[in-house]
Amino acid sequence: MKSRFLLPTHYRKIGWVIFIPFLILGIFSLHMEFEFEWLDFKVRSGDGNIFDNPAVENFTNELASIGVLIGLIFIAFAREKVEDEFMMKLRLESLVIAVLVNYVLLFFAILFVYGLDFIFVWVYNMYTVLILFIARFYWVKRRESKMLQS
Amino acid sequence: MKNSLKVHRARFNYTQGELADKIGVSRQTINSIESGKYVPSTVLALKLARTFDVTAEDIFELEEND
Repeated sequence: MKSRFLLPTHYRKIGWVIFIPFLILGIFSLHMEFEFEWLDFKVRSGDGNIFDNPAVENFTNELASIGVLIGLIFIAFAREKVEDEFMMKLRLESLVIAVLVNYVLLFFAILFVYGLDFIFVWVYNMYTVLILFIARFYWVKRRESKMLQS
Repeated sequence: MKNSLKVHRARFNYTQGELADKIGVSRQTINSIESGKYVPSTVLALKLARTFDVTAEDIFELEEND
């Protein structure tokens, strides 16, 4: 069966190689305000008004966010060695579960996380659909291949 | 839905892997069809039937609650 929207199989490995370092960078950037100085760029005029955002923006968090995003997309959408209709069914199921669990988590986060801390919910919530999808899809694939051995 | 895929496979002496290769699916797919967990598409059902030289109804059969 032809499957559209999927990347070549070896993109999975590339995905992990991109995802892990950028995740670490992202965590440092988000929680410890780590910044690479060489990523300072002047993006606004910055006319000195104190209410204005500063003229220079550091792009460490942008870099980390995009790295994590690309890594996760590569891992999630790399084609299986044999990508058949059963695999597509597992993908679909996993995607439905991931979206559902994502919003259940968001529901509780809305109830129990307040104020400025909610920014962390926003940041992590950008990626939880993909992370939950990958986790569920991998888990179910492992379960299926274990059944083959028994 | 019931199926007698295992019986037909035994008739031809194919392993799950051999059958999977013949019709271009994974071993997991054959295994999950045989264990009744997965209902294949019409295309796959017809491919299986052609491989065993029977009709799709010879392999797949509706049950009461279907």
